[in-house]
Amino acid sequence: MSRIQLKSSPSITGIRWEPADENVTTRCSAMANELNGAGPPAGRSRSRKSPDHGRRHSNLDVAVIADRTDDCERLLRELQRLRCNVRHIWPVPPQLPTQHDLIFCMLTEDLPQRIPWIPGEPKAGLVVIDPGEGELDLKLIHNCAAHGVLHYPVTARSAQACLALAHDHYLYEKRLRGRIDKLDENLRSMRAVERAKALLIRMKDVTEEEAYNYLRRQAMERRVTIGAVANAIIDSHELLS
Amino acid sequence: MQSNNTSEPWRVGVLFSRTGFMSVIEETQLRGTLVAIDEINDNGGINGRPIEPIIYDPGSDSRSYGIYAKKLMVEDGVSTIFGCYTSSSRKAVLPVVERLDGLLWYPTLYEGFEFSANVIYTGATPNQNSVQLCRTLMELYGTRFYFVGSDYIYPRESNRIMRELIRNSGGSVVGEKYVALGAQRSAFMPIMQDIRQVRPDVIFSTVVGEATTFLYQAYADIGLDPKVTPIASLTTSEAEIRDMGYDVGEGHLTAAPYFQGVGNDSNASFVGRYQKRYGGDEPTNMCLEASYFQVNVFAKTLEKTNSMESTIMRDSVMGSEFDAPQGGVSINPIWGHADLWTRIGRANRQGQFDIVYESPTSVKADPYLLGYGRCLEYS
Repeated sequence: MSRIQLKSSPSITGIRWEPADENVTTRCSAMANELNGAGPPAGRSRSRKSPDHGRRHSNLDVAVIADRTDDCERLLRELQRLRCNVRHIWPVPPQLPTQHDLIFCMLTEDLPQRIPWIPGEPKAGLVVIDPGEGELDLKLIHNCAAHGVLHYPVTARSAQACLALAHDHYLYEKRLRGRIDKLDENLRSMRAVERAKALLIRMKDVTEEEAYNYLRRQAMERRVTIGAVANAIIDSHELLS
Repeated sequence: MQSNNTSEPWRVGVLFSRTGFMSVIEETQLRGTLVAIDEINDNGGINGRPIEPIIYDPGSDSRSYGIYAKKLMVEDGVSTIFGCYTSSSRKAVLPVVERLDGLLWYPTLYEGFEFSANVIYTGATPNQNSVQLCRTLMELYGTRFYFVGSDYIYPRESNRIMRELIRNSGGSVVGEKYVALGAQRSAFMPIMQDIRQVRPDVIFSTVVGEATTFLYQAYADIGLDPKVTPIASLTTSEAEIRDMGYDVGEGHLTAAPYFQGVGNDSNASFVGRYQKRYGGDEPTNMCLEASYFQVNVFAKTLEKTNSMESTIMRDSVMGSEFDAPQGGVSINPIWGHADLWTRIGRANRQGQFDIVYESPTSVKADPYLLGYGRCLEYS
């Protein structure tokens, strides 16, 4: 999802902020100086112990859907500093956008209905923003199937942790789903391979090992999966018999 | 969700299509669900609280099942859903119940090879219908099979399994045709003409929904003889037979855990109650029966847990038994699938099935066919 941008200099060019209103642009360039210049930007004592790890989430496309308050500004600024490509959106659109890696969105009563995907099949990481007033609605947060919650007031640390954890969780969920799909597919392939092997043993009078080698060689030569070769053998055998 | 000192209803979701090409069978599943709920409520509910169904009609559109499942869980605050016929609709609901931790009760036979901690499967898996059907067909009619199916997950997967069974029993598949889900009548004539030329011993159908009627009627219209080349199916129940006409259905075979004609007191009483409500000429069928008994299993479990929280419900339902109209059934704790009876019926002129095979006991669910060797040996 995240686009890898190879830039030779650590200049502002790696950062794209698509302002939703005009006065953002000026602030952006001011921030660029801050980012390029020496000395730590907003927030205190930044540990430089593992700079690589700090960069894991740079270049992410992030949407921030929140009212333009000081907290929102702090969040935008922190995301910029972390080298994210940030887009500010307000008010909450009827359907959240799906082209971003991560979305920070104000928690509203009807947020679950504004999420365009089916729970369990997210199209982006989602952090809901709790404005920090009134009772916290845990059921609502559950129903958003979010990957994290950011509470106002925003600190650099909380924004950073939310970004990192939510993105991690989103990717982890995606990997797990991918693994399950793969397992399902493998299960089917294994049955096909077993059957194809049995056919080869019977028809070509070879050992189990030779049958398997044959399948593997065919798969390598044709650059297809061994399951595909197995299925082809089974199908053609059926056609011939 | 705890229920101390409250008469608040237990709210559950119900997702069956009353419109669209799947409505013939899903309407009966809805009825089975509602009959069970009414009976439970008439007897005072569960721990003094009635069950309140929240019902949506997904209109035979798979995507709508996912959207309504989300609506049920998010807006209606429901954690238990009874529903789904097609595998595509089940697969649409799956991510929702898995992510939001709900429990889907799925009362339909399917192709197996699935497991989810958030689904209780109460319809048959291939080891509970296909294996015996293949055996019986070969004994009675011959070894040359012709496949006709609707074009979606269940028919293709069922045919894959059926093909393995047939091949390993020395039979062959001499034709395989798919029609679109919701296919029209005209789609079946060319297939029948092909069948007349190829002359198979058996036609194995995985056509579902309204198109089932068109398939069997096309068969009758072209003048094929069910005594020689019957259509065998895992899905054609009393509901579909009535739709196509008793004369059209006569002589064709179906494998299912339940037929209306199952002879036991529990079933006689069930059929009586159902017909009292919906009319004396309304048949019951396997999907209706599974819909009915699964609500009862749910109720028995809820009585113990007094909580609808999915994890608690699920832990408690495992291994539980129920005297269903088909006979004693249980929820297999390994797979969360029901252990069911295997039966093969031949449709008669009254739109009922004469039972030609019945398993001596219920058959353990084996959705991944682990007990059937590497290649589903025919023994």
